[in-house]
Amino acid sequence: MDERPISPALKASALVMFIFLLAPLLVVLPISFSGDAYMAFPPSSWSVKWYGAIFADKQMTAAFSVSIALALVVTVLSLLIGLPAAYALVRLKPPGAEALGSLFTAPLLLPTIVLGLAILLVFAPLGLLGTFQGLVAAHLIVTLPYAVRVLSTALATLPIPVEEAASTLGAPPLTVFFRVTLPMMRSGMVSTAALCFLVSFDEVVLSLFMTGPRISTLPVAMYHHVEQQADPMVAALSVLLVFLTLAVVVIVDRTAGLAKTFVK
Amino acid sequence: MIRTAPDEMAGLKQGEGFLSLRGLTRRYGPFVAVDDFNLDVAKGELVAFLGPSGCGKTTSLRMIAGLVPSSSGHIVVNGREITEVPPYRRDMGLVFQSYALFPHMDVARNVAFGLEMRKVAKADAAARVREAIAMVRLTGKEHHRPSELSGGQQQRVALARALVVRPSILLLDEPLSNLDAKLRDEMRNEIRDIQKRLGITAIFVTHDQMEALTICDKVVVMNHGRLEQVGTPLEIYEHPKTAFVAGFVGRINRLAGTASGGIAEAAGVKVAAPGFTGPVEVMVRPHRIVLSAGAAPAGGDLHQLSGTVARATFAGDILEYEVEAGGVLMKTEAATRGGETVHAPGTPVTLSWRPQDTFVYTAS
Repeated sequence: MDERPISPALKASALVMFIFLLAPLLVVLPISFSGDAYMAFPPSSWSVKWYGAIFADKQMTAAFSVSIALALVVTVLSLLIGLPAAYALVRLKPPGAEALGSLFTAPLLLPTIVLGLAILLVFAPLGLLGTFQGLVAAHLIVTLPYAVRVLSTALATLPIPVEEAASTLGAPPLTVFFRVTLPMMRSGMVSTAALCFLVSFDEVVLSLFMTGPRISTLPVAMYHHVEQQADPMVAALSVLLVFLTLAVVVIVDRTAGLAKTFVK
Repeated sequence: MIRTAPDEMAGLKQGEGFLSLRGLTRRYGPFVAVDDFNLDVAKGELVAFLGPSGCGKTTSLRMIAGLVPSSSGHIVVNGREITEVPPYRRDMGLVFQSYALFPHMDVARNVAFGLEMRKVAKADAAARVREAIAMVRLTGKEHHRPSELSGGQQQRVALARALVVRPSILLLDEPLSNLDAKLRDEMRNEIRDIQKRLGITAIFVTHDQMEALTICDKVVVMNHGRLEQVGTPLEIYEHPKTAFVAGFVGRINRLAGTASGGIAEAAGVKVAAPGFTGPVEVMVRPHRIVLSAGAAPAGGDLHQLSGTVARATFAGDILEYEVEAGGVLMKTEAATRGGETVHAPGTPVTLSWRPQDTFVYTAS
């Protein structure tokens, strides 16, 4: 990339934007170490007790496990479904492939609340409400469009001669796919996985419709907790979540390169 | 898919050529990319498919490799019909313009890929990979990724990768187009040397007539999906069968004329044109024309045309003129020997050339 001098005005506006984006975090971090019984800024005393409180809260830890398991299952399924779908759309080009591609991304354009209501109406008679399977199905509706999109782009930018070279060297189609196509798609796969994991882990609106007394996800549990009491535990939890997200981003950066993955 | 009857196969089983194409055709809807391509390539020959882009040369090569299905016709290699055989069972070595190396494998694993697919024993494979890498002079780069190599080195890896499996035919698809001029000359000779040394049958697709003429045993000139002429570089250059071949291979001057009674007249010049009647094109190559100042001396049996210099270009090793004569701009060029005068624009000159350097074609 070209090294061009950055003007002081641009630097200043970048700084303002950073402060604007990160300010909420700067407030949450001190509050998470508050010794008070309620959220206030600045805290009048300091403590790590609210971090301890998270792990003592059975509902919270259960919701956390559900969210992690849910995000993992949803990520794996998104890749398993998204990859063949993307391959079919990009490589086999069935008639109407473009229309199908748009259709697959349509859920992204619907307001989530509408989607949530629709899922509620469809899932209720099927007995899927308040179940892990139901949550998986609901989350897949949101993550699959991302998966198909990102994987299609990754597949469409692959140089076809490389696959043809493998084929002329004696590799049957499946071998070409596993030995050449898939390894070349690595960065696309990593970014899809990260995206699906974060989208599922963050999802609130759909989960609100799907959860109940038997099962809850972390964001929903946090939402209900804040509704009932305003203690700094949620702030402590938020800090943990920020670090979890950061960890995912760092993993993506190390394995595939952040700029290569998200900025295409 | 339409296939011709099996009896048409009679006679091309043996002896016709190591590689035989019979009526090979590829249609895309109404568009005919390759039309009724017939060719015999002898074992160990290097054959060029030469033509402008879109002439069907790459499509033909890809049909031989099995990457593009043929609409009709047959491909026979060493007596075995392979028209319906998938690419991974054809035993062809293909080198691409874009190199097409596996970016996630190092040089050694790229080269070893074909051997791995053929389940060659580890020790044997390792020895052959080492040998192939040495052949393209890349010893020491075994563990470099393709992205760490220059264009020329990448193309040499591609060549080693294609040759290590000892394919029945080596197919080269514009292998030099992405290289800079100096490297291109080097690689061109290297490809020729390796091909000769291994005695491998090879097809070289190119749009560059220099490449085709300089390293190939035989040149196939194609245009609009049709075969224009097949011959040695000398035949193609000295006896172009069609106006297209004359114009595409080497530089040429064109004069419009009319023929009757075995004589064609163009810009006042009368040339022998047996068998032609009606509008014709008379052609002569720039460096076969001798330019002399002033009016025409008695030229004997030379063809002569007088005109005036429109532009003179001194290019060091050659001296080029554009001469306005017979209503067109005629180009001439001559190697400089030192001491010649460069005629200024406006100078009256005479152009002379030998009858055997004159080509006549029916005007298109």
